[in-house]
Parts: sequence; structure tokens; C-alpha cells
Amino acid sequence: MTGKHNLPLTDIKVADFSWFGAGPICAQNLARYGATVVRVESEAHVDGLRGVMPFAQQPCGDCGGSGCPKCANTGRVTRTGYNVSGYFNNYNAGKLDVTINLSTEMGKEMARKLIAWCDVFITNQTPRMIDRWGFHYEELKKINPEIIAAYQPMQGFDGPHRDFFGFGAVLNAITGYNELSGFPNRPPMGLGTNYPDYVINPGHTLIAILAALRHRKKTGKGQCIELAQLESVISTLGPVVMDYNENGRVQTRKGNRLSYAAPHGAFRCQDITWENQPMDRWVAFGVFNDAQWRALVEVMGSPAWAADAKFATLEARRANEDELEAKITEWTRERTAEDAMALLQSKGIPAGVVQNSKDVLEDEQMKARGYFEYLDHPETGRSAYDGSPFKLSKTPGSLRSPAPLLGQHNEYVCREILGMSDDEIAEALVEQALY
Amino acid sequence: MTTSALSDIRVLDLTGETGVYCTKLLADLGADVIRIEPPAGDPLRDIGPFWHDEKAADRSLAFLHNNTNKRSITLDITKPEGRAVFEKLVATADVVAETYKPGYLDSLGLGYEGLCKIRPEIVLTSMTGFGQTGPHAGYEWSDIEGVAMSGMMWLAGEKEDPPNRPYGNQGNICASIDGAAGTMMALYHRDLTGEGQHVDVSMQEALCINQETAMMTYDMTHRIASRTGARGLIPIDLPGIGIFDANDGQVFCYLGTPGGAPWTTMVEWMAREGKAEDLTQGENYEMVQSLNLGFLTALVREPEKLPARIKVLAHMREIFARFIASFSKWYIYEEAQKQRLMIGIVSTPEDLAKNPQLAARQWYQKLEHDHLGAEVTLMGPPYRLSATPWSMRRRAPLPGEHNSEILGGELALSAGEMQRLQAAGAM
Repeated sequence: MTGKHNLPLTDIKVADFSWFGAGPICAQNLARYGATVVRVESEAHVDGLRGVMPFAQQPCGDCGGSGCPKCANTGRVTRTGYNVSGYFNNYNAGKLDVTINLSTEMGKEMARKLIAWCDVFITNQTPRMIDRWGFHYEELKKINPEIIAAYQPMQGFDGPHRDFFGFGAVLNAITGYNELSGFPNRPPMGLGTNYPDYVINPGHTLIAILAALRHRKKTGKGQCIELAQLESVISTLGPVVMDYNENGRVQTRKGNRLSYAAPHGAFRCQDITWENQPMDRWVAFGVFNDAQWRALVEVMGSPAWAADAKFATLEARRANEDELEAKITEWTRERTAEDAMALLQSKGIPAGVVQNSKDVLEDEQMKARGYFEYLDHPETGRSAYDGSPFKLSKTPGSLRSPAPLLGQHNEYVCREILGMSDDEIAEALVEQALY
Repeated sequence: MTTSALSDIRVLDLTGETGVYCTKLLADLGADVIRIEPPAGDPLRDIGPFWHDEKAADRSLAFLHNNTNKRSITLDITKPEGRAVFEKLVATADVVAETYKPGYLDSLGLGYEGLCKIRPEIVLTSMTGFGQTGPHAGYEWSDIEGVAMSGMMWLAGEKEDPPNRPYGNQGNICASIDGAAGTMMALYHRDLTGEGQHVDVSMQEALCINQETAMMTYDMTHRIASRTGARGLIPIDLPGIGIFDANDGQVFCYLGTPGGAPWTTMVEWMAREGKAEDLTQGENYEMVQSLNLGFLTALVREPEKLPARIKVLAHMREIFARFIASFSKWYIYEEAQKQRLMIGIVSTPEDLAKNPQLAARQWYQKLEHDHLGAEVTLMGPPYRLSATPWSMRRRAPLPGEHNSEILGGELALSAGEMQRLQAAGAM
């Protein structure tokens, strides 16, 4: 394929008024498949992620030998400023970045021009902020009748909880992930991350935007997309809510166990040493049928205990799961997690190492598929970005530029997209509209 | 008649657990999704819990949830008779979605190349544990291997426990969401150019971005982030941060965060309820006035003042905990949020079912299930599109419910052909 449709979204223009995770990740995937995405920020309203770790490092430079006070002899010091957060950068590559201060009248006028220019508007700002900006769909439609406007409020634009607020970890609690994940003897601590921000909410939004783009291509008409993050998450949790509604059962967390597999969980393997400290290693696997159970017994060298009737069937194994897990751990503890995985897989048992971030970056499978994209950035140097969520055989998407510096494309966006003259740009700077 | 975004799209659904939510997403946006079930029985129909706890092919709650708006035929595509019918269906289809081990459909001659011979513009969407290529392409997988190998499982749980698998088959969910998005992207490209393609989703890759900052942390600083449990990154127990017990459950608190109300608002509320104890006084109130995320970040920078401060913080935490414990979780959640104090309810499934916000927005969908003689409440839309709305048009199908409608009707197979299919065990 050659020509301008080499990537599916080459003709699509996106005004990205979002921040943190759920909005920027969605817009980044539009950029990855060809769209021109303008990320709107301001020093008056900086994306919080620009201030969150990790920050890129650089060589110390002052190291004259032992006892360096600047880098504690690591040879590396942390960079500072708005442009060195790996957290921000990972969700904003491939975008242009303009700083428009929406608390100024001129800034609002510039934003309206950007809204007139775009095909897709996206924001995950709160309903209160949308009110303040005057950026509800009815208002945007007056500026751009064919616009596709995608909103990601936490609770939706109406209802008694419209203005309730939070972030991913709060959503983990409200949607039931906390209550339902983890071990029953522990408090409902959640998933250790702001989980719905990364795939569930940006991924659902991407589907909705592509549906709207398809409709627009057929009819010329735009539309409004409202993804309430609460609803987006709970829509994936059907069976457990139905079990309450239809059967009156209130499920809670069960550790790593599953009703239709046993064993099912993570099993401790040989520890390793990392930076002079022991580090625990685990292999995760599940046995879903009798053939897999027989294969597991064989892999473990057919120990006598495994022949006991109390492990013969799925029901029996579930009834004796504590003992079963302890016995299996005697076998896994003798092996590296990698060896355990390879042995189990060789007999057709699904198994995987509980990998950490180093393992993932060095994972031979992901490397062979070129999942991570490595981009050179003027302030962080070369760094890794998460790759495409799917591979398309004929139109493979990629990040064509690293994450932008704050306001990196101010001049380009003002001149080429907003059609501003030199005088207007100067005025915008003086008025702190371009700020 | 409302418009739908995918009303002109036909999807042949060969998916197992990894991809069944993908085809639901497409069906709920209006696509004609035909679920192709093995005549011997669809394994997804065996997954409990079941409606009224009665195990039967039409009662798996997961099946009822994941197969709304789909039609069903029973067809064995490995038998020549069944395969011939499948090829006829492919000739009418836009998308084939599948979750077999890589190479399996190729071995039947029905991989991407094979499908293209029948329908050159077909989109084939494959969702697997590790993708179609690479040294682990042949590995077996279920949900837990995906979350383990992606790095996200390592981050959940207490240090001394096994890493926690996130609830709700998140590997299957994320692979399905990315599968649906990839399918839509491929369809958009096909609309522009007439060209189909193969969409390849690896569950491991789909989940990888859920590691939050762990990947970038290792890449940039050579540090391996590990699970930190209930306390999170801050190694001491703090007032107003973390999980607290209400009198009927729990709430998750994160007070002092930017954009929210300050600790003084919290203490004013406690005072109104007559439960502020001594937090309005002396060094306690000084701490109340200064406690925010910036203060916490700075806490460890003056180690000589640390012991006294930790003592006050521990005292605040006790009083805060007593306050929370004297009310219900819903009261704490709603009252706190009205004052912009960042507290979320730890919802149980019952709380999800009774959530007043979802009720006010009429989110849950009640649908008559004639085979059960009952109405079943299903999940509502992940998104609301104003011009091409998500819609609930049809309950999940019974096995082969649409054999006559699709094979006899739309494909116009004769009664004799239908009988031969059945006799061969292909239908």
C-alpha cells in the first residue's frame, strides 16, 4: 500500500483536551494509526503526570571517585523539569503539544479555533471543568457541527453523583475491583495501580470513537460520546453482579483461585538475587481439566501424594486446595520460575512466570514481536514506550515522534493550524493565552 | 429505527474465553454476530455460576452476559460438510474473530490466507495469549498466564503473599477490548481502501501498559517496582489514606490530594457530627492544617522532627478510623464526596447492583429471557453514543437457535442438506 491512506487515520485531526491516563492513552492510539493529535496543556493547568516519577536520569558528571555527594556513587542523577517523566511521556508520544491557557479569553478563542479544526475532541476532565470551559457537546456543535466529541467523566454528566470525583485507585474501590481481588484474609487493597486508566477506559473510548468515525464517513454526521468511567468498568463485571441479582449471592475475593480450575494460582519458585537482595519468584498456572492434571502429575515426577483420591477430580482438588497448593509448592520451590514454566508448557499446561518490569522489557517473545517502541527524546534520551495494543498486518501503527515537550509545537500549531499571524502570536504570549 | 455503527457488518464468532467479550462489544454496537458453537457443546456454557444455580446450557451467567445480541448456529468446521457451510458464511462475512492456538486455522486451510481466497476483504481478528508470532506463539494460556507474563500481577498484593491476580479475567477483557478496537481500525481502513487484514492481539501485550509506571521505572532508573500492598508507597500508616472500616463494610480514602478539599474540611465535618475529639486543638490542629501530599513528601526530609510527627499522625488516624467506623459506607462515601473529600466506597456486588447513580441513569438493562420464563438484569453500556447508540436487542442465544434461520433461510440450504449436516454430526 502506498498513498495517503497508508495508515487508516491519516486524514483525522484530534483536539486532545485530556490529561492523566484515560484520555491521553486513547488519543495516543489515534496518533499511532495516523491521526494528527494536538495535545492542549498550559502551565496554568499542567498535566499532573509531568510531575510524577519516574524521571529520566543522566550521567553524574561530577564523579571524581568515591563518596560523590551528588549521585551517591551511582554515576547517575535525576533530571528535573516538565519533560522528563516517563509516566507522562508514555501516553503522549506522537502528539503535537500546545500550551493554551483556558482561563484567558484569548485562550478560549484559540481553543474554539482548534475545536473548529478538529474531527475528534476528547477530554477526561470533570463535568465541573467542562461547565467552566463551556465545552459541552451542544456548545462544541455550534462551533463545529460535524464534530465527534468524546467525554470520559467518572460518573457521567447527570445523576446524583455527577460531581463525585476521584482517580483510578478510587474507581478500583467503587467498581468492586478492591472487594473482589486479593486474598480473603487481607483488606480490599486493590490492584496496586490506577488500573482502569490504562486499557479499560481508554480502550472502550477508542472503540466508541472508531464507531463514530465510521458513522461520520457514511453520513457526514458527528455525535457525542459519553463514557462514564464507572459504567465502562462495571460493564465488564457482568457475571458477579448477575450472581447477586439472580441468585442473591454476594461474592467476595478468593485469592488467586478460580471456581472452574484447580490448582489455579501463583506458586513460589527459587528466589533470585537482585542488587544484593533476595527477590521472590513465582510461576502462575491453572489446571482446567483432567488431562492437564495428569500432565502436571507427570511433570512433577508422579509423586505418591498426587495419586490420592482427594486430588483425583476438579471437585476433589478444590475441596483440598490448601494442601494441594502446599504440595505443588514443594515442587516449584526446587526450580527457577523460568524452568517451571518451560516444563509445564512442554506438557501442554498453560503456565507463565509472574514477570516483573525488567523481565517484561527483556521478554524474548515481546522483543521478537517488537512490542516496545524506543524513541529518542531531547531531554530523556532514548526510552521505551508501550507499543500498539494490536498488530495490524497491512497498516502497522507506530509512534512517529517521542512525547512532546511542554508547548513544543506552540508556534507550529498557532501558525499552521490556528492560522494566527505573528502579531496575534505575540499578543497571545503577552496575554498569557499562549502559556 | 435507530441507526447503528455496525449494522452493515457481519462477524463470525469462533472465540473462546479470551475473545468472547470482543464479539459482544461488536454485537452491542449493531453488528450481526453469528456465534459458531461446536455441536458437542460450547465450553463457555459450562462456566458457572448459573442462573438460579441450575447447571444447564442456557444458564451460565457469563454466557448470558457475553453473548447478548448474538445469534447462534452449531457447526463443526473440521468436518467437510460443516466446513463447506462455514465457507459459504465466510463469503457473506466482514469479520472472523477467533482465539485458537496460532496455526490451528491455518492447518484447516482457514487461516488469513485461506479466508482471503473466499472473501478477499475479510478482517481476521485473532486474540491469543502471546500473539501469532515469536518464540512463545505456541504457548498455552489462560487468563492468569497473561496477567502474570504482562508484569501487572507482580504489582498487586502484600509483599509476603503470592502476587494477586486481578479479579474478573482482566486478561480476557483487555485482549477483547483491544481486539474490538483493532477490528474497528481494520474496518475503517477497509472502508477507505477495500482492503482487509489480519488483526493480531497478544494478551500479554494488551495487559502490559497496566503496569502503570513499572516499565518506565526500570527503563529509566534500573529499579524494579514491586508490590507494596495495602500501605502503598508510603511506609507508615497515615490518617485518611487507605482502606478504613465503616460499620457495614469499607471505604477507600485519599484525603489531601490536589483538587480535593483539605483536611480542615474533614475535621469540620467530624466536629459537626460531634466526633472530632481533640483534633480541633493544639498540635493536633496544627497538623490538620498542614497535612497534604506536599507535607507527606517532605515528612522524611526532617528526620529529627519525625518521631513527634508520627505520634500525632497515629493519633489522628485513630480518631479518623473511629469516625469512619461509626457510620455506614454509603453515608461516608456520599457525604464525603459532597464536600469534595476524596473517599470512595469499597463496593460489593450488592452495592454495584444498588448503586443510586447507576439507577438514576437507568444503566442496568432488564431483558426477558423466554427460555427461563424470567427477566434477567444485564449490564448496561460502556459508552453512550448519541447518534449510533449501543443497544440491547436480543438475549444470548440458545445453542443452535438460529440454525434454520441462518442456514436454511439466509444461506438457503435445502432440507436435505440440513439433514446431511446433522447426520454427519456437523450441525
